[in-house]
Amino acid sequence: MPWKLLVRNVLGHPVRSLLTIGAVMVAVFLVCILQAVTSGLSRSLDASSANRLLVQSAVSLFVNLPLSYQQKLTAVDGVDAICKWQWFGGRYEQDKGGFFPQFAIDPEPFAPSYPEMTITSGSYEEFKQTRTGCIIGEQLAQKYGWEIGDRVPILGTIFTRVDGKPWEFVVNAIYESSSPAFEEQQMFFQFAYIEESLEQGGATGPKGSGLYMLKLSDGADPISVQRAVDEMFANGPQRVQTTTEAEFNRQFISMLGDVPQLLRLIGGAVLFAIFFAVLNTMLLAGRERTRDLGVMKALGFSNGVAAGLLIGEALLLCATGAGLAIAIALSTEETIAAVTATFIPGFALDQGTLLMGATIALMIGLVSGLLPGIRAARLTTTQAMQEIV
Amino acid sequence: MSAAIQLRSVTKSYTRGGEELRVLDELDLDMDEATFYALMGPSGSGKTTLLNLVGGLDHADSGAIQIGADDLAAMDSGELAQWRSEQIGFVFQGFNLLPVLSARENVELPLLLAPLSRSQRRAQAERALDLVGLGDRMGHKPRELSGGQEQRVAIARAIATDPQIILADEPTGDLDRDTADNVLELLQRLNRELQKTILMVTHDPQAASYANKTIHLDKGKLGRIDDNSQVQRSS
Repeated sequence: MPWKLLVRNVLGHPVRSLLTIGAVMVAVFLVCILQAVTSGLSRSLDASSANRLLVQSAVSLFVNLPLSYQQKLTAVDGVDAICKWQWFGGRYEQDKGGFFPQFAIDPEPFAPSYPEMTITSGSYEEFKQTRTGCIIGEQLAQKYGWEIGDRVPILGTIFTRVDGKPWEFVVNAIYESSSPAFEEQQMFFQFAYIEESLEQGGATGPKGSGLYMLKLSDGADPISVQRAVDEMFANGPQRVQTTTEAEFNRQFISMLGDVPQLLRLIGGAVLFAIFFAVLNTMLLAGRERTRDLGVMKALGFSNGVAAGLLIGEALLLCATGAGLAIAIALSTEETIAAVTATFIPGFALDQGTLLMGATIALMIGLVSGLLPGIRAARLTTTQAMQEIV
Repeated sequence: MSAAIQLRSVTKSYTRGGEELRVLDELDLDMDEATFYALMGPSGSGKTTLLNLVGGLDHADSGAIQIGADDLAAMDSGELAQWRSEQIGFVFQGFNLLPVLSARENVELPLLLAPLSRSQRRAQAERALDLVGLGDRMGHKPRELSGGQEQRVAIARAIATDPQIILADEPTGDLDRDTADNVLELLQRLNRELQKTILMVTHDPQAASYANKTIHLDKGKLGRIDDNSQVQRSS
């Protein structure tokens, strides 16, 4: 195989080659990132705890459950601890565009129910003692430069203070997480803080709790507990739906539609478009080189070499594009992971994803080179020399 | 002198517009080795077809073509390709150099098929370019050369593998008179000094006068063979 000729053919049309490489690069980069998002979502679901159940309103996640349910739930066999979870939905004042999840929880059962959470600085005990206290994830602390003792003003959007001022929370502890299902860009504070504010008329907002988290006793059957809880409230006043943590997360993600399927469709469409772009480039290259290939055949080069030159050229273009895409994806992985951490906690480019990107690029190269390659192989020397194409 | 090229009852037809066109019709022809032949005839007389058949670029419909000891009809396309790389050098009207390669790389191209090391290939290509007087243009791309220089590079490529037969299809068709004369003189030298058998298709009687003999084809049949010894131009 005249390798030098193959490379020179690619370099012979620098603009066209660069555009093709660029197109493949963008496509492979996008596919790798989309795949990493999909994998991240799966990792997050896979890492969900099996011994935690979540109880929500059967009507909608946006309808709160009565606070009286907490006491009733303690009577269910197999329930070891119960913790309220209330979405706060506030905005950090100093960062108008910033968003991170804040939840009101019960500090006492919360920490023992989430063993994947480890306090790395500050004191959880102090958090329990401080009505306006909060704990934050390490990524969140790093993002805003918050330290223990800092006061964080959060403007309520669901729960608003009547004086129009932001809620103020004191950072008591910072945690790290060993599970992608429990991310580090969250803030947790005492449910009692908003409950008291609502009761005393200092704030307005929905009463009750958005969710109840049930930590199961060792050996408890999740399905029996699920059934018992749902039956307990089957006749109201508010019917509930009890799910495992994984199922809850899956439903939460699917509120946006079938995200993984949508991402796959986008990736597939991009690849399809790029395949046609590369195929077009290679058909053009094959047509342009008809005479050259005829000369080579006249000199004694085989049909296989004629086809190989075009297939090799397509593979070289696609491999270069894929290599660049992988390099860019790896170099931007941390940034993308940080930006998407709130929504996709498990985002990571693993070897399988990169290998998939490279394989797809090579397949595009192979298939798009094959068509002009076969034509080049079939072309007789006399036809090629007369440019009968 | 033994026959380098021998054709017996060679017939070749093409179908054009649904009609069968017999381009070569039961052609018998013997060509001696180390002889420079010009092949002339009106358009459609079968000159290029004959050249393609002798060069193993195409198969005859019937008849036998013997080049030295090799029977071309018995070879498949792969064997013909291998045979061409060893036995034949081609020179085309449009030069047909590969534009992305330098003069030396173009000449090296057929040598890639020979069992030679890189340095041997390079040395052989440089020798061929020296022989055609382009030792100082080895690194130039075809677009950086004049038409005459391009054709001389093409001739260097044709002789790089040291084939016994050189087939040239209108090699001076795209050149001005002076440049054409230079190229023809070069072909004549290759015939005289290196004992190459040359078969050159041409429309130009002046170009033909550089050859030892002129074969005239007419409607796919052999018209006559002129001996040019009395009129032959000499370098």
